[in-house]
Amino acid sequence: MATYQEFIQQNEDRDGVRFSWNLWPSSRLEATRLVVPVSCLFTPLKERPDLPPVQYEPVLCSRANCKAVLNPLCQVDFRAKIWACNFCFQRNPFPPSYAGISEVNQPAELMPQFSTIEYIVQRGPTPPLIFLYVVDTCLEEEDLQALKESLQMSLSLLPPNALVGLITFGRMVQVHELSCEGIAKSYVFRGTKDLSSKQIQVGGDKGRPPQPENAGVFVFITRFLQPVHRVDMNLTDLLGELQRDPWPVPQGKRPLRSTGVALSVAVGLLEGTFPNTGARVMLFIGGPPTQGPGMVVGDELKTPIRSWHDIQKDNARHLKKATKYYEAMANRSAVNGHCIDIYACALDQTGLLEMKCLSNLTGGHIVMGDSFNTSLFKQTFQRVFSKDYNGDFRMAFGGVLEVKTSREVKVCGTIGPCVSLNAKGSCVSENEMGIGGTSQWKVCGINPSTTLALYFEVVNQHNAPVPQGGRGVIQFVTQYQHSNTQRRIRVTTIARNWADAQSQIQHIESSFDQEASAVLMARLGVFRAESEEGPDVLRWLDRQLIRLCQKFGQFNKDDPTSFKLSESLSLYPQFMFHLRRSPFLQVFNNSPDESSYYRHHFVRQDLTQSLIMIQPILYSYSFHGPPEPVLLDSSSILPDRILLMDTFFQLVIYHGETIAQWRKAGYQEMAEYENFKQLLLAPLDDAQEILQTRFPMPRYIDTEHGGSQARFLLSKVNPSQTHNNLYAWGQVLKHFKLSEIAGLGFAKL
Amino acid sequence: MDDLYIKPGNQERGWNDPPQFSYGLQTARGPHRNLLNKRAAPGVGAPPPTPPSSNPLSPPPRGVTPPPLHPARPPLGCVATPPPPLGPMRSQRPADSSQSESEPDVERVVSVLNRALAACRQTVKDQVCSDVAKRLRLLEDSWRSGRLSLPVRRRMDTLSLALQSGQWDSADEIHRSLMVDHVTEVSQWMVGVKRLIAETRKLNPELLEPLQKPADPDQVPAEPDQVPVDPDQVHAGPDQVPVGPDQVPVDPDQVHAGPDQVPVGPDQVPVDPDQVHAGPDQVPAGPDQVPVGPDQVQD
Repeated sequence: MATYQEFIQQNEDRDGVRFSWNLWPSSRLEATRLVVPVSCLFTPLKERPDLPPVQYEPVLCSRANCKAVLNPLCQVDFRAKIWACNFCFQRNPFPPSYAGISEVNQPAELMPQFSTIEYIVQRGPTPPLIFLYVVDTCLEEEDLQALKESLQMSLSLLPPNALVGLITFGRMVQVHELSCEGIAKSYVFRGTKDLSSKQIQVGGDKGRPPQPENAGVFVFITRFLQPVHRVDMNLTDLLGELQRDPWPVPQGKRPLRSTGVALSVAVGLLEGTFPNTGARVMLFIGGPPTQGPGMVVGDELKTPIRSWHDIQKDNARHLKKATKYYEAMANRSAVNGHCIDIYACALDQTGLLEMKCLSNLTGGHIVMGDSFNTSLFKQTFQRVFSKDYNGDFRMAFGGVLEVKTSREVKVCGTIGPCVSLNAKGSCVSENEMGIGGTSQWKVCGINPSTTLALYFEVVNQHNAPVPQGGRGVIQFVTQYQHSNTQRRIRVTTIARNWADAQSQIQHIESSFDQEASAVLMARLGVFRAESEEGPDVLRWLDRQLIRLCQKFGQFNKDDPTSFKLSESLSLYPQFMFHLRRSPFLQVFNNSPDESSYYRHHFVRQDLTQSLIMIQPILYSYSFHGPPEPVLLDSSSILPDRILLMDTFFQLVIYHGETIAQWRKAGYQEMAEYENFKQLLLAPLDDAQEILQTRFPMPRYIDTEHGGSQARFLLSKVNPSQTHNNLYAWGQVLKHFKLSEIAGLGFAKL
Repeated sequence: MDDLYIKPGNQERGWNDPPQFSYGLQTARGPHRNLLNKRAAPGVGAPPPTPPSSNPLSPPPRGVTPPPLHPARPPLGCVATPPPPLGPMRSQRPADSSQSESEPDVERVVSVLNRALAACRQTVKDQVCSDVAKRLRLLEDSWRSGRLSLPVRRRMDTLSLALQSGQWDSADEIHRSLMVDHVTEVSQWMVGVKRLIAETRKLNPELLEPLQKPADPDQVPAEPDQVPVDPDQVHAGPDQVPVGPDQVPVDPDQVHAGPDQVPVGPDQVPVDPDQVHAGPDQVPAGPDQVPVGPDQVQD
């Protein structure tokens, strides 16, 4: 391997894994001195067009509390047909079907290139995917119309055999019967009272002749969840005829929205009919829940929805109760393996702060927009149903991720869209980071970009020798339901060398993956920010950075200009600088809903996207050469440049002063200035490329020097040039020292 | 090409709403270009790049210096990664050729769909058939009363040809593209066409024979092998653009004006070319541009 960079890239491509350190310190003490924990970003279902799944089941270690999967790192005795588990050293005989193996005839799972392998598990027939739409009807006419059309459109994107269901709500909750014959019927629930799963099943049968004892489930399947190909015509009409909530909304009031009960009915319906089957509840809301369990704000318009200020002053009346209600529901849904999406389109807050757990614990999407009649919503919604190179949907369900470690390493926890399965065992550390105390997590909704951060602990004692020639090994076993309904198991086994931190510190330093580490530390920060005060989190991050710089930086005391970091750490302080100012840690200028939304996406995207969120990408276009990445710094804003900034949630194209004047003067329309026209088009073309793939669709801002929207760029760049022009880059570290002393954050522009 | 286009987002309803990509553009992605994911490393301790004052191109106190004329190095490669030679978003097709295709024939399209329905009647439940028939009438009414835009009519024409020649996947793909791009116009009846595709796909080949015969011997285009559509394009494989850029006439309005394309004279193009890039401060299309884009009507 030529360089660590190549090694890191190859590992990400093949295994979907990026580790903070690619050489592991050999003792617990040395590991803690490295500041950034041994940890990784793991993308369990990373798209691997070159990896066809194998059609048999994995071979497991026979030790009951190990059950690790046979992998390329196992020692194999081909003559005796025995393999040694590389986690517990148990010697296992191969199953009879492996009788024919030899050095020259190895099964795929023993070949080094199959460090990641996917198995198709043959089981009986599997039920189809389920999509349950839960639709708010307290919308403006234009929004409701647009939403209805998007829902009708989605029927064409679903797999034909998928089951669909429809629940609508306003003041009341209506569960619609989807038979293909006769008149449309629906069951109405009051929106003020919560119902248990049992009551929902009974409620569905109210006014009907008593059903045989266990016919409840059957009744639900046939009435409320139907295959798309059978009911699409009726459902299209039903959607087309949906009306706004008919209850009058008096002046000065909000419409009564029974979101809590509607969700409870949805979760209960699926719980009663299809537990442990891939299902998506898709909630579409145009405002906050205003009545019944889970209400976030009252219906009086004069009482605004809670702000950060209210929350800090403990003045948010419904916050705790609503959050508790939705958390209980999210956990119930997670147990059943169903995920919940929230599509919230409104200009004011809709209660995402209270409801975020529904998606965060189940792996569902949250999409936030201004209106259902926007391209942002419509296209993001379409992309939920996007397909991969095989024509399969980019969605999977009921994922269970299990981590196995060799004995010198233990797992502390994970941060990502999952819940703990409380699986104790020898690889679980007592030191919790993120969701810990377990070696298994459930990820109900999972897609090829879903990425978890996993944190580990080295448990070797300080005076114990470096494990001889040994490597630390970690195995990730992900079981899930593929969108074609197959059960599959993907197994990734990775190993890293141990290094003695005293004699080999330079090697360890050069094995540092600063991009992965920035994201891994940022996730820890965001996780803390959910429960701790903002300034405390910033102080913690600062301390970590300072310790890291002390450990690896070279400097002469009291001489800031002498400070140097090696190449493998050179970008890291910059990432931390921008992270501190990011909306993931700063709530100023964001509503509680917005903060929840940004954090939701931050703790699930892959490394590349997460890094864009931390430090936006800035490219500069000019006549002087091809576009080039430039510092995210105000010194990069020049009159004869066009800048393209990608913050993940926004794409900004900024025309410098001269460019803007040329454009205004219309030079691009003159044949002799064709080159200027090309220059104007280049960033648009590059932006399009991003717009076509990003999920969710970003906002798109085309602005120029002096334009009011230029603030989106100005608020992100490092303000190195201000009215009393200071220095440039060097001050970043100085700022950190200042803030460490004074406990101050950076002033926002 | 009428199925590969970008239209502006809805600035009325969402601030900085992004542009909207057609179904064809979303699904038929060209070769993946490199992501813009590089970052400039800070020179430790070094000053940032040239401050604005030293810029030779800064405008003089009054007036604007024109941009450089024909620079020694034309910025052709000025997209971060060079665009594919003939990406799906560009079309070299001159505008006039779009006139060469005649107006899709409502008779022929409806007759194909009705014959498909007739073929289904033996196996499919009456209720479903009458529901489909109802929707086909709705389609016909909308078409005849001029409520269907040209892109919808054209794509329905292609869909009926695909259906007739038994190219179910392609017909289904066209149905999806219509639902995504023109849902307002088609949602009420398209679901009937969708069902028709699904049901005919399941039919015995013998039952399909009447469908595959040309409707009316006078109408040449109905002959499956003389169909103006290249069969290759109709088999929309995942790696294939559903409609090849060379084969199908271009709707100049919606073609993304690539930098390598010489724009047609402004009077020939009914749209402001800026429109394709859907910048927020660019006025959305003029009325003659829109072949009844659903959302634009609402604006």
